[in-house]
Amino acid sequence: MKTRFFIIIFVPLVVFGSSLVLGPKIINPFGMDETSREILFSIRAPRSVVALLMGMALGASGAVLQGILRNPLADPYILGISSGASLSAAIGIVAGLTFLGAFTIPVLAFGGAIFTGSLVGVIGWKRGGLWPERLLLGGVGLSFLFSALLMLMLSVSSDEGLRRATLWIFGDLSMSDWSRIPYGLIFVLGGMLLSMVRAKALNALILGDEMAHSLGFTPHTERFVLFVSVGLMTSASVSLGGMIGFIGLLVPHMIRFFTGSDNRMLIPASAFMGGALLCAADLVSRSIMPPMELPAGVVTAIIGSPYFLYLLRRKNVLGL
Amino acid sequence: MKKTLLSLTLIVCCSFSSSAHAGETPQRIISLAPNMTEILFALGLGNRIVGVTSFCDFPDEAKIKPEVGGMSNPSLEAVISLKPDVVVMTIDGNPREFEERLRSLGIKTYVFRARRLWELPHGIRDLGTALGVKEKADLLAGEIENMLAKFRTAGKPAQKKKVLFIIWPEPLIVAGRGSITDDAFALLGEKNISDDSGTSYPKYSIEEIIRRAPDVIFIGRGKGMEEVSEGLLQRLKSVPAVKNGRVFYVSDYLYRLTPRTVKGVEELARYLRGQY
Repeated sequence: MKTRFFIIIFVPLVVFGSSLVLGPKIINPFGMDETSREILFSIRAPRSVVALLMGMALGASGAVLQGILRNPLADPYILGISSGASLSAAIGIVAGLTFLGAFTIPVLAFGGAIFTGSLVGVIGWKRGGLWPERLLLGGVGLSFLFSALLMLMLSVSSDEGLRRATLWIFGDLSMSDWSRIPYGLIFVLGGMLLSMVRAKALNALILGDEMAHSLGFTPHTERFVLFVSVGLMTSASVSLGGMIGFIGLLVPHMIRFFTGSDNRMLIPASAFMGGALLCAADLVSRSIMPPMELPAGVVTAIIGSPYFLYLLRRKNVLGL
Repeated sequence: MKKTLLSLTLIVCCSFSSSAHAGETPQRIISLAPNMTEILFALGLGNRIVGVTSFCDFPDEAKIKPEVGGMSNPSLEAVISLKPDVVVMTIDGNPREFEERLRSLGIKTYVFRARRLWELPHGIRDLGTALGVKEKADLLAGEIENMLAKFRTAGKPAQKKKVLFIIWPEPLIVAGRGSITDDAFALLGEKNISDDSGTSYPKYSIEEIIRRAPDVIFIGRGKGMEEVSEGLLQRLKSVPAVKNGRVFYVSDYLYRLTPRTVKGVEELARYLRGQY
């Protein structure tokens, strides 16, 4: 148990450290000139912090969602939160809205995400509580609707706007700076704390509502609290840097191979490993073809998927 | 030079294979790219244009022409129903399959193959020959050639300035190698710091900009562009261009290969040589 804790803390720290030093050019932290110092502190550091935060949010909300929806295929984007955010951000990008300066697009994305999350909540609400199947199907339905609207908008917009919006949707961490981090930190850590405090209830929920009830939990209340935590984390993550695939869906499964399904361990471990993976992917995406940058989301899946498939073949998972 | 010759030969060879025959003057022309619409108007063929794309916004008369869809997804039906004598397309902007489809339906096409700044005069001559307005095209191409030659011969700067053209600040997209802007910088004898990119309009690394420290930064002018750029310029505050107030918002003439492109080069030259 102790070594596991150690690994879970140690890996993200090492990845974070290397993401500061490595890149298109290696920076020696003990002999920096003015330029290198600036690059390290005001370009790389905020970018890596954002990657960590986004990865943490996605990993943790993936773990929580797979629990409350009792579905191994659930990921933070299945609720339509990301497509709502993407639609609203793309509208902003294509229409060239700038009412809040550099904050315009993140704020639009966050607004779109929160709006969609609440809408899914309203759809999933029946007889005094949230129902997993309703949430899931409501989310999928909204997701289709918003994606279609997004496609509609992109197909009638100029090629310029289209390319910019597509780059944003694919996940762009390059514009991360310190100013967005406090907001991200509040929502991501807030959501994570909330879900970790209710981790025991989540364990019970997975066994079924009746079982949870007999263990002394109120399923509807617990589900609502957990749903809110997922909504906050996912919205914050989308507004920090667009959509990053893979992490929310597969990182919790990868962690289950190592730690089992106890959510008290699974949620923080998925968060830290999600953060580490995104941070590493971002490092690769900006170092592999300098001076060009690739979308981090693409790299995440290219690094992550083979490893996941390897684990799936090697480990005896889910008793399957 | 070798490269220029090669591309010229290529253009000449290819233009013989276009299916519009030299000499005939088509009465109904459809343009499938904004720069083609602009060139056609400049050649005095505006009144023969019967269809344009939804992006064709210059000159103003182009905006009232019937639209046949976007550049990458024009509507085949709309094109056919306008009964064109020839459909003018570009090699980069329009899908090749669309051209093949049109030809298989017996509709004549003309593919404009010039992509780089120095290919423009020849491209215009070739187009003019194909559309039966050879003299006008010669005149226009000659004007452009003269202007370009003027830039080439007008005293090169004693020391090459390091320059950068930002197309869009967030996500950061710049004019890289092979873009018209890159050609313009080369013509003016300046060093485009992003000329080692793999594509014409790459998503670029901010830390590389800081490291390469451009002396002058240009940003494509546009609605709200100054607000959107604020964040980026804040992060580039240690770069000489930003520190010395040499960040300029310029028009989008250099985004399309048209007779107006020369004005775009002129604009850059004005800022670079300090006569603004």
